[in-house]
Amino acid sequence: MASIDFNGTTVELNPEGFLANPAIWTEELAAVLARQEEGIENLGEQHWAVIRFIRQHWLEHDSAPMVRSICKTVGVPLKTVYELFPSGPAKGACKLAGLPKPDGCV
Amino acid sequence: MTVPAPAALESRIAALTDADLARGFDAFRSKLSAAEVSYLGACVRCGLCAESCHYFKASPELENVPARKLDHVAAAFRRHATTAGRLLPGLVGARSFDREMVRAWVDAVFGRCSLCGRCSINCTVGIALPRVFRAARAALASMGLVPDDLQATVDNSLAHGNNMAITKADWVETVQWLEEELQAETGDPEARIPLDKKGAKYLFTVNPREPKFFPLSLQASAKVFWAAKEDWTLSSDPGWDLTNYGLFSCNDEQAGAITRNLVDAMERLECETLVIGECGHGYGAARWEGPEWLRGSYPFPVRSVLELMDEYLATGRIAVDPSRNPKAVTLHDPCNLVRHGGVREPQRRVLRRAASTFVEMAPHGEESFCCGGGGGQLAMAAYKDRRIASGGVKAKQIRETGAPVVVAPCHNCIDQLMELNKEYKLGVQIRTVAEVLADAIVPGPREEGGACPRP
Ligand code: SF4
Ligand code: SF4
Repeated sequence: MASIDFNGTTVELNPEGFLANPAIWTEELAAVLARQEEGIENLGEQHWAVIRFIRQHWLEHDSAPMVRSICKTVGVPLKTVYELFPSGPAKGACKLAGLPKPDGCV
Repeated sequence: MTVPAPAALESRIAALTDADLARGFDAFRSKLSAAEVSYLGACVRCGLCAESCHYFKASPELENVPARKLDHVAAAFRRHATTAGRLLPGLVGARSFDREMVRAWVDAVFGRCSLCGRCSINCTVGIALPRVFRAARAALASMGLVPDDLQATVDNSLAHGNNMAITKADWVETVQWLEEELQAETGDPEARIPLDKKGAKYLFTVNPREPKFFPLSLQASAKVFWAAKEDWTLSSDPGWDLTNYGLFSCNDEQAGAITRNLVDAMERLECETLVIGECGHGYGAARWEGPEWLRGSYPFPVRSVLELMDEYLATGRIAVDPSRNPKAVTLHDPCNLVRHGGVREPQRRVLRRAASTFVEMAPHGEESFCCGGGGGQLAMAAYKDRRIASGGVKAKQIRETGAPVVVAPCHNCIDQLMELNKEYKLGVQIRTVAEVLADAIVPGPREEGGACPRP
């Protein structure tokens, strides 16, 4: 099992870099994941808006939102979502929002 | 020789009873035809298959040799199903089908094989290794030993009619949004993405990954249909998802139930032809395996959307300007589409017409290497490191073409290629055939008096 160091404690990741325990997610942890797993040094306002929306959606619906509702709710064009998260909405944004890896061809 | 299985499977393996093992072994036997049983004793240990397997090429170790994987499976067969094996197991290399062997099977057929079939076409004596590996997966499935994440994808399809558990409302809303985007892109307020159009010629199917996370490929396919003035539709109810992970979990009943969604949608919407979008395993499952799972041929033809795109260009139904795709493109051949599925040329003809420069990988076509994400590998997190390592073979092929654009007519391959792009720092753009074609479309000659370039 992979892991990262987070403020002196060890946080376990699944082999694909998603949190082994999605419940322990915090925004600080998201920033560390962004740097270490996705190579994103600084999360900007738009990153945060997307991440917070995905997290909230997951807490309420137990699933990742459609990219359509990310664009609509956060008010970013689709192109921007891909630019913000080069690994894509699933392996990029959902990972940083502390979701389990979505099922399917992702 | 102990090979650890994924943790969740390990506890289930430990709990297997003798009755479970017997059931698993029976399932294995029942999945093999008489001809396939003969493969189990046919290996002459020439070792030729080793270099044909991307797992072995990337990590040359014994357990990655296809013949070795075959041997794990065949050893149990020799022990239990042959007279010599029962009487003299040591003499014929027979081993008991026990927990230890189950672990070896899990590791060999789930953990180190994408069922790509490349070993098979390079085997000296023509052993269809993937048939045997699929029978072994079926045996493991009958004992409840499919890795959880792979099974979850199957369960989603069974419960929700698509492998990402997308609700009907979300699916329909996304299609309507894409229709607006298409109208904006084409400047045609009449451009449509038809839903539930009864009697349409083509029922088009997509990968749930498109509406969920990567809708531009769906919009591109719609643009192609728009340019060709095609009579097509999507289904709002189940029957729009072309994937079938039952092909990988090797539970034929579940695979058949998933295929049933497509057949039902064809009946409900009274369409003429089922069109499978850009997907390797989805094409193989619907076109070749589905009738076997459902024990009967379909009352309709099944075609790949690549064949349609090729026809539109060949007959001049859509016109393209390749200079709109100025960068060189190369093409990945999904195993299930090309080696297993037999769809090899249409995508090439489309790219030659729609892009300025088309470069083949070496090797390609039937001899193409798997991207590493096939056979359900993309869904099994436990084997991620092996998946990325084995994909190194494809990454190298891509780099050697020098092409900045990689086209893959399969969303599963695309996801793996995106990861390879990141891990191996390839710096390429990864696209579907429809995306390349859609970018090249110019107003047709009929409307413009033949002024537009035709390929
Ligand atoms: S089917 Fe493909 S992945 Fe599996 S052993 Fe053969 S070459 Fe290797
Ligand atoms: S090529 Fe065929 S016969 Fe030779 S070792 Fe491989 S499986 Fe056996």
